[in-house]
Amino acid sequence: MMNQPTALEHVLITTKVEKVINWARASSVWPMTFGLACCAIEMMAAGASRFDFDRFGAGIFRATPRQSDLMIVAGTVTYKMAPIIKRLYDQMPEPKWVIAMGSCATAGGPFDSYHTIQGVDKIVPVDIYIPGCPPRPESLIYGFLKLQDKIMTSSLADRYKEIFEEVG
Amino acid sequence: MSDPIEPQAPGEPEVPAGPYVYDYAASPQRQIAAPKTVPLPGLRAYLAEVAAQQAADEAKWKKMQADYETAKAKAEAEGKEPPKPPVKPVPRKDDTDMKTPWPQEARDPDLLRLQSLLGDRVEEAFEQAGELTCQVKKESLLEVLRTCRDDAELKYEMLADHAGTHYPAAKDFAFSLVYHLTSVSRRKRLRIRILVPEGFEPESACSVYPSANWMERETFDMLGVRFKDHPDMTRILCPEDWEGHPLRKEYPVVGWGQRDIDFRDDRAGVLMRIAMQKAGQMGINLKQP
Repeated sequence: MMNQPTALEHVLITTKVEKVINWARASSVWPMTFGLACCAIEMMAAGASRFDFDRFGAGIFRATPRQSDLMIVAGTVTYKMAPIIKRLYDQMPEPKWVIAMGSCATAGGPFDSYHTIQGVDKIVPVDIYIPGCPPRPESLIYGFLKLQDKIMTSSLADRYKEIFEEVG
Repeated sequence: MSDPIEPQAPGEPEVPAGPYVYDYAASPQRQIAAPKTVPLPGLRAYLAEVAAQQAADEAKWKKMQADYETAKAKAEAEGKEPPKPPVKPVPRKDDTDMKTPWPQEARDPDLLRLQSLLGDRVEEAFEQAGELTCQVKKESLLEVLRTCRDDAELKYEMLADHAGTHYPAAKDFAFSLVYHLTSVSRRKRLRIRILVPEGFEPESACSVYPSANWMERETFDMLGVRFKDHPDMTRILCPEDWEGHPLRKEYPVVGWGQRDIDFRDDRAGVLMRIAMQKAGQMGINLKQP
């Protein structure tokens, strides 16, 4: 009789609030419509019907930072573009994530030069780095799945602690 | 933004204290090797090169002959067999398709027409690989461009491209500026070239070809050549507060302290303020009322 589920347990699931919220966040990550170079072409391919980013809840590319959760930095970050990227990141509401797509955004790529930032992590915090020049849409999707794993394992308390430490 | 870092004096390298940090000042990309030659294409330079090569070949052949005479006399005195006489080296024939095209004398009717119209304002005219090049005096650039556009037999309606090159090793000029003209109606292309020294301000071609506006701004941004009577002589590619001109040969590849910019400041705000100031100077109010 002990293992017999009660009538209430037939209709209810017990879980943590954090887990539900993380599940909701990971299942509908809205990226920003934002490309810098040739990686953006692969990003568009990932969003189009052949690869279909929308299967993972990330198909709605928002045209404004104020409605988006994810910034995919797809391409070379120049010194002229860097302040604009920083401003876009600041305009995104919390919680927000950043994917550095391609070798240019991760480490400057072949452009060890006067005009290129050696990795976008010098201006914004990056969650996922995707290597490749440019990465295939499969790589982007794999990186996005990794980001979903990260979101699922993240804790609300840690996230707010980070923000408060940043603010000071 | 820091000052340009002076190159380190050769000597014992300093032992870095603490964790390894990539030293941009000592990086091989930052060491500037100034070119020692002036590879400016031209008929006169090519002919001088050919003449120098021929003279060197002749001197080498004479030396071989003299060496042979001395060796022969020495062998005869010692009673040995005389050495073989030298064979004059034949220039190798290059019959492949990958021949480098060399500058040739101007035979195209357009170049001849330009020469007859402009007289001594044309410094040099030649053809290379089927491309027409006309080097003119830097003071008469605008007049030449106007002739190319308006003359009934030339009719170059379009300025397709404008670019420049830095020649730090040249003596009487520092930059070569080229204007690539296209005649849409006649399906022809022509290159007008001027050589300008440092500090010289050539006339802007905007009054003849309006498309020169942004191209000349790019030339100013990359090389530092200012143009006279240009409507808006400002930077176009680099940020407004950039230092130096990156396509000059003495500009380091890695940049002058550009990596030290702190992006925790609102740098976009700084740039916007600069843009607002400039617009205000031109009498435009960008701010919404």
